[in-house]
Amino acid sequence: MEAVRFEDFSYQYPKTGQGLDRVTLSVPQGSFTVVTGTNGSGKTTLCLAMTGLVPHFFGGAMSGRVMVEGYNTADRAVADTAANVGLVMEDYESQLVALTVFDEVAFALENAAVPAHLIRDRVLAALESVGLAGLEERELSALSGGQKQRLAVASVLVSRPAILVLDEPTSALDPEGAADLYELIARLNREQGITVVVSEHDLARALPHADSVVVMAAGRVALAGPLNEVLTRMLSEQVYDAAVPSLRRLKAALETEQRQFSAWMTAGEAAAEINACLKSTRRLSLSA
Amino acid sequence: MKSLAPLCNLLLMIMVSIWTVLLWDPALLALLLALELGLLAVAGQLGKLAKALFGLFMVAMFFAAIQLPFDVAVATAVASGLKMMVMTVAVLLMLATTRLPSLTAALVRQVRIPYEYAFMFTSALRFMPDFIAESHAVREAQVCRGYVHSKNPLKRIVAYAASVEPMVLRAITRSDTMAMSLELRGFGSVNRTFSQQIAFQTRDYLMVGFLALVTAAVIVCR
Amino acid sequence: MLEITEVSFSYPGQAPALNKVSLTIAAGDFIGLAGRNGSGKTTLTRLMVGLAKPSAGQVILDGKPTRECGPKVMARSIGYVFQNPDRQIFRDTVATEVAYGPEQMEWGEAERRQAVAEALAMTGLTEVAEAYPRGLPRSVRQRIAIASALALRPRLLILDEPTSGQDAVEKNQLMQLLGTLNRQGIGVILVTHDMELLLEHTRRTVVLHRGQKVYDGPTGALFADPARDVTVWGLRVPDAAAIAAKITSLNEPVQSMAELADRLKESLEEKTDEEPGAPL
Repeated sequence: MEAVRFEDFSYQYPKTGQGLDRVTLSVPQGSFTVVTGTNGSGKTTLCLAMTGLVPHFFGGAMSGRVMVEGYNTADRAVADTAANVGLVMEDYESQLVALTVFDEVAFALENAAVPAHLIRDRVLAALESVGLAGLEERELSALSGGQKQRLAVASVLVSRPAILVLDEPTSALDPEGAADLYELIARLNREQGITVVVSEHDLARALPHADSVVVMAAGRVALAGPLNEVLTRMLSEQVYDAAVPSLRRLKAALETEQRQFSAWMTAGEAAAEINACLKSTRRLSLSA
Repeated sequence: MKSLAPLCNLLLMIMVSIWTVLLWDPALLALLLALELGLLAVAGQLGKLAKALFGLFMVAMFFAAIQLPFDVAVATAVASGLKMMVMTVAVLLMLATTRLPSLTAALVRQVRIPYEYAFMFTSALRFMPDFIAESHAVREAQVCRGYVHSKNPLKRIVAYAASVEPMVLRAITRSDTMAMSLELRGFGSVNRTFSQQIAFQTRDYLMVGFLALVTAAVIVCR
Repeated sequence: MLEITEVSFSYPGQAPALNKVSLTIAAGDFIGLAGRNGSGKTTLTRLMVGLAKPSAGQVILDGKPTRECGPKVMARSIGYVFQNPDRQIFRDTVATEVAYGPEQMEWGEAERRQAVAEALAMTGLTEVAEAYPRGLPRSVRQRIAIASALALRPRLLILDEPTSGQDAVEKNQLMQLLGTLNRQGIGVILVTHDMELLLEHTRRTVVLHRGQKVYDGPTGALFADPARDVTVWGLRVPDAAAIAAKITSLNEPVQSMAELADRLKESLEEKTDEEPGAPL
């Protein structure tokens, strides 16, 4: 079954008229999907539509529908959809509303009237799973940017959503921080079977973890499918090809009809295959 | 005090304020102040607040001093300065020893203040450090473009106004994000639990009894 | 033009953010500044523009210690572009926004106009001069921030993470712009986490680690030496450099993946010429 399915979904924001244009897309359960595209292409709107905030929060005109875990988002309250989809927004700092780490994570459970004696264990488990165990009494203002982001992840995980959506999560992180965050969500994806959707400019960061890619352009889905296939098509059809990781650009530049490489994930793999290829070149030129 | 129920701490603050209004003896007021400072020290907050307390002291002294030319007795002027100091420290003491989320929970569950109001209060506190940082950043950006603090107050006001707009606009986008976050997390539901421990225990009842006794004594002695 | 000698800085009650860092920046340099979040990059750039004063050591601009310089003097020599352009944009048109600096300098009307026009032209903003800045895309707002700094005709431009939040196309355009400015003689210090940008666009890189300068030299050499493990400083070897380092037939470091592709193609083509149908 699909975790999320867009069925001919169009949407316009009330003020700008921009939005999504006839989006048909399915996100399989348990997949790790990366959404990319230029700024203004509709990545964020796509993320918001999965949570029901589009259209419920913004208003505006829509047609078609978005199904999340079998429910039509248009028919449900945002908080009910949030039980299925957790959203970490680009401005995750403003997403945090409480004064301490514990209260931040407990917030959704308290609002959902979960009995007080169950809250503590669930909060601690959520903090544990994002690597913030032991910080529950810490004040938010004493956390680093990366910690705040993990807190935002914990505060949605605590509701045990089947789907986790992150909108440009790495733009403020350093390379290690970004790699750690991807490790974290990849682990949630692998071990807990959570379906992950990430919008991202830097595909190289997501490359080792993602299994499918969606390329947005002017509110439409320009390309969607398995990772390797989409990366190849981005280059060959020149759809936002500037965003293709340089490793894959190298592969495309070196490949000819006779010479094909495997789908490189790391520089090591690439170097090994290129070296093998160069060796056979030398052998050939020697024998000639 | 940290082990008292939040409502009990609140009650303590209110009662101390009432005593302060009733008392005019500088010695008794000074004693009350000394007690408060002692409690702050026990809570480990005295060092952190030292600078603010000194500032407060200067303001209180100034407040007492400006009354003297108006034919007010020295004792009365000093008492009024002390009153101001004692009351403010009482509030500081309450804030320093009570976790705000617990206080929110107490206000909502025990005093029956609507949760939305209590939440507005805590979220204001949550975003205060961010706003201060934001305003610093905006001013610094202007300094980098050659802005110099002018001695002319009018120019200063004009310059200050320039930093307000980016802050307000940022605050608007921020509040949008926060509103989305609240909606996603089911804010405003009719039934809500509070995970904080706020119920009264024996020591809280003892404290309430003690407060009642002192209050009665203060009234009688007057 | 800018000399930093044994500069230290600490925030009250914390470990020193900078510890005896020395650095000389020549006119027209294109320098990358790299390191983990919290390694002292921002503190160092803040000292350079006079937003903070060093607790020890000196920042010397054109031979004069900057301790006595006011922000006016500093801003005329060094432009600072913050990571988030929205913190500084507060006026109603792009042109008046860019004019803020020249106004603070109390330049004459003609000179002001001239400076604004030049800055807009350099950043390709002439056409949106009368537009409302906040209605423009973030990449354009970033350019407005750059133009605002350029309007004071600085000789050095410091940019803090200018590519964050920009898409791949915008990123390329921004780097092109910085390259053009640099060729016009403006020095650039690029604070960045993007190792590929660093490799491709900067000539020299300074790496900070726990408040200390741990590398200062050619960017290519930073990644080319297999004995140096840059990951301990929180950096990542760009894929192009990582591949080049493992391919023995390449003797020189490469600057970009495009260059690597061209050079590898050359070596591989030697074979392809004779390959089709060639008997072994």
